Amino acid sequence: MPTRPDDCAAALALLEPYLDGELPPAEAERLREHAARCPACTAELRLAQALQGGLRELPELDAPPAVLARVRAAATPEMPVLPFARPAREPAPHSWRSRFAALAAALVLVLLGTLLLFELRSPRASQPARPTPLEVARATAEARYALAYVGRASRRAGLEIKDEVLPEHLVAPAARSLSRSLQEMPGLRPDSAPRQGS
Amino acid sequence: MTTGIEEVVLRYQRRVFTFARYFLGQREEAEDVTQEVLIRLWRNADGLDPERLGAWLLRVTRNACYDRLRQRRTAAAVVASDLDPEVAEAAASEAPGPAALAEAADFQRRLLAALGRLEEPYRSILILREVQDFQYQEISDTLDLPLNTVRVYIHRGRQRLREQWKEMYGDAHPA
Repeated sequence: MPTRPDDCAAALALLEPYLDGELPPAEAERLREHAARCPACTAELRLAQALQGGLRELPELDAPPAVLARVRAAATPEMPVLPFARPAREPAPHSWRSRFAALAAALVLVLLGTLLLFELRSPRASQPARPTPLEVARATAEARYALAYVGRASRRAGLEIKDEVLPEHLVAPAARSLSRSLQEMPGLRPDSAPRQGS
Repeated sequence: MTTGIEEVVLRYQRRVFTFARYFLGQREEAEDVTQEVLIRLWRNADGLDPERLGAWLLRVTRNACYDRLRQRRTAAAVVASDLDPEVAEAAASEAPGPAALAEAADFQRRLLAALGRLEEPYRSILILREVQDFQYQEISDTLDLPLNTVRVYIHRGRQRLREQWKEMYGDAHPA
C-alpha cells in the first residue's frame, strides 16, 4: 500500500525521539512499520542513524603533551620550561638580532656541510677521499650538535616554530641524511673495503 | 609531582581539546585554544566554583573557538583538515579490512566536514551531545539555555546535519 505524505510527516516527527531512545515502544514500532513501506523514510532513518553513529564513534582526544607543557610553563613561570616548550614571554624587542644569528648559523652550517661533502666526494689523484669511521662518527656528531644549536637558537629567538618541527623535521632528517651520505662514500661501506693492490 | 590545580587541568584537558578539535576542524587552532583556556583555568582556579567548573570551562572554550571562527576569512578554512591519528585509529578499529578501513576513514572525514559547515549553536550542541555524551541538563548549564530549547536545538541540529550531508554528498548512503 503506498504511503501518503501525511504518514511521512508523522513518521519523521518521531525520528528524533526515536534516535534518542525516548519513543514509547508502540510509537517506535509505528515508525518502523512505516519505514518498511516507505523507501524515502527508510533512507532518512538510515542516514540519521549513520550520522549519529559516526559522531558517537569519534574518539575523545587528549591534548598533546607539548600543549600541556606550555600551559604549565606559562602558568608557573618560576618552574623550569620543559624541553621544546614554546617560550611564554613575548619576543624581546631586539629579537631580530637573535633571529639573524640563528639564520646565520644555519647558513654557515649548510655551507660547511656542503663543503665537507664536496671534499669527501672529490676524487684526488694522490689522496683518495676515504675518511676513517672515526672521522665519519665525529663529523656526524658535530653536524647533529650544530643542527641542535640552530634549533635552540631559533627557539630562544622566539620564532613561532612548532615544537616538533626542528627536532623531527630538520635536525634528525639532516643528521640522518648527512650520516647516510657519509656512509655511502666509496671506501666506507663494509663491502667496499680497500682491496689489496687496487 | 603534580599540584592540585595541575590535576584539575589534567582532568579537564581532554574535554577542552576534544571540543575545540571537532568544533574548529583544525588541529593547530584547537591546540592554541586549548592552551589559552587551560592557562586561564590554571590562573583562575581558586575563584571558581568546583560545581560549575565543567560548564564554565566548556563555555570559555566555546567562546574562544567562536572567536577563532570569526577571525577566519574564508569559508574553506572551516572544512575539516586531515584526520588525527586517533580518529583514524578509531575508524580502523571497526573496519575488518583495508577497503573497509579506507571507507570508514573517508566517512569520518566527510562527516567532520559536514559538521564543520553547521552554524551555531547546532555545531556545539551536536559535539556536546553526540561526541562528548553530555546529558541535556549539562548542555543546558554549559550553553546557558533552557532545557526545552536544548532539546529542540539537538533535534534541529541533527536535521541540519542531514541536510548538509545531502547538500555536500547527495543521497548516497554514507557508510
